[in-house]
Amino acid sequence: MSGSRPAYRKRLLQARRHPLQTVLSLVILALIAWIVWSTAAWLVVGADWSVVTENLPLFAVGSYPEHERWRPLLWLFLLCLMTATTLLQPLISRPWRIHGLALSWAWLAMLPIGLLLLAGGAGLPMVSSRDWGGLTLTVLLTGFSGLLALPLGILLALGRRSNLTLPRHLCRLYIDGLRAVPLIAVLFFGQLLLPLFLPVEIEINRVLRAVVAFALFAAAYVAEDVRGGLQAIPGTQREAAAALGLGPWQIQRLVILPQALRVAVPALTNQAIGLLQNTSLMAILGLVELLGISRSLLANPAYIGRHLETYIWLAGLYWLVCTAMALMARQLERQGKSSATEAIPS
Amino acid sequence: MKWKRSRWLELALVVVVLTLVGILVNNLAVNLIRTGLGLSFEWLWQPAGFALSEHTLPYQPGDSTAWALLVSWLNSLRVIACSIVLATVLGVGAGAARRSLNPLLRQLAGLYVGLIRQIPLLLQLLFWYFVAFLGLPSQPFAPIGTLISLSNQGVGILGLNLSVEFSAVLVGLSVFTGAAIAEVVRGGLDSVPRGQWEAFRSLGINEGLGLRRVVLPQALPAILPALSSQYLNLAKNSTLAIAVGYADLYAVSDTAITQTGRAIEGFLILLLSFLALNLLINGGMQVLNRIVVHPAQRT
Repeated sequence: MSGSRPAYRKRLLQARRHPLQTVLSLVILALIAWIVWSTAAWLVVGADWSVVTENLPLFAVGSYPEHERWRPLLWLFLLCLMTATTLLQPLISRPWRIHGLALSWAWLAMLPIGLLLLAGGAGLPMVSSRDWGGLTLTVLLTGFSGLLALPLGILLALGRRSNLTLPRHLCRLYIDGLRAVPLIAVLFFGQLLLPLFLPVEIEINRVLRAVVAFALFAAAYVAEDVRGGLQAIPGTQREAAAALGLGPWQIQRLVILPQALRVAVPALTNQAIGLLQNTSLMAILGLVELLGISRSLLANPAYIGRHLETYIWLAGLYWLVCTAMALMARQLERQGKSSATEAIPS
Repeated sequence: MKWKRSRWLELALVVVVLTLVGILVNNLAVNLIRTGLGLSFEWLWQPAGFALSEHTLPYQPGDSTAWALLVSWLNSLRVIACSIVLATVLGVGAGAARRSLNPLLRQLAGLYVGLIRQIPLLLQLLFWYFVAFLGLPSQPFAPIGTLISLSNQGVGILGLNLSVEFSAVLVGLSVFTGAAIAEVVRGGLDSVPRGQWEAFRSLGINEGLGLRRVVLPQALPAILPALSSQYLNLAKNSTLAIAVGYADLYAVSDTAITQTGRAIEGFLILLLSFLALNLLINGGMQVLNRIVVHPAQRT
């Protein structure tokens, strides 16, 4: 047996050094060189970034009144500050590090602060939601939809696993139903049909209608992710908690959910990133968020044919925000993990 | 007989849900009466009055709205079916490339997946339409003999003429879904033990054959369910075709609703048509599952 081993090994190595692999590498190198060359040529000769550089305020805050523009800009600045603080945590020495929980609460506080800054009130003049736009609106839509979708999704996930027949079926119907329809149909429902289901006196603005539609849609997906987390928790956890004399609600709140949510964090992060990307669909339904404002810019004769520059700029922005979200989620996850192990005395 | 607490809880929930539904339906009725609309499906049989940029069945603006919706449903089906094929080819290729022996190919596939998944699909569709396809020269040119001719008027493949809108949706959906499928395929390949790869390589079997005959048959049971959910995602995402002006189901429903003002009825029909699409894809995947997966592997 041992005599044949070198022959096996030789063939295993041969697979790696096959001449075809070399040809393949050369073809890929040529392809990469061509892409780099044509991109560089376009950047030097063809590109005209005036559509981006002349409209930076529009991309950031949309058509927000000019003398009040500092408000959304301040909010964006605060968000950048929070992002930097969160991402730099591992580099800060221990006594100065902010506790993960405090950081999470600070993030949560960003939403009402943003709403207050944008809408006005408390001494600030009111600004109609019709004037909100750009990156600010994109982030606001994502934040509030996510905030509503999370508790709703958790409730749906618990309902789907409940012992009660009717709630279980209702939750299943909701989750499967919403996961079967396209998001744009749900958003269309939110914009055009939702008002028909509300009393005449109640009038809600377009941004709020969009948030409600996004939240109702995202909740179905959150529910499935949370259910995945719940399934990962062994039944012995429930039994142990019950043996300690905890009631059914206490078991869920103190034992099952904290563990299940921790398992679900990576999936939920993906949902949040998907939600941010999907807010671009509101451009079709007439909100001037990041993509919407770009569409109206490209309709301007001054920027005719500047699609590529605009789209590359937008892709870069979306990529940046998505990457920041993913990194921060990983950060919070790691901190949560370390604080969880700290809590258990060894 | 004494009821358990959970019984009461359930009963309370029934009451709450019924009340809620009742309030919503009542509001709807009040609003429909107030606006004088009521519910009616007569508009389906009246002339549509709008043109469709492309149709597989004969269609004129004088035909009924129901016919226009059917034609648009077929348009959706056509772009979804073609995209599924192209996305699968791209996805399997990229997924296999990420586990290839060639480090450059691995990096390239990783770059494709990483980049595409961080950019909104709508933005990508707009890119393919406005930059890639409308940016083509107006005179057709043929890069590979007479196989393909490209121009900003349309794309010709083997004598088949495709509109620019169709091509943009097809390429956009396929490239986007291909990246997701690549992840599914990679996960499936990783579920096959490493020893299986090393075994066929040490037997001197080449990469392609080994992948086809050794690894994929074992990976398929893990891949197929996730693949079918990607196909359903693709079908849902095809509704974004409205952004580039392709006359798909959603775009035409939207037009019909705007023209007739029948939002509730139009929305119901949209949902039902979409349900039919979903069932079709699900059925197709079940047939595929039966053909491809060996009976012993089925769970």
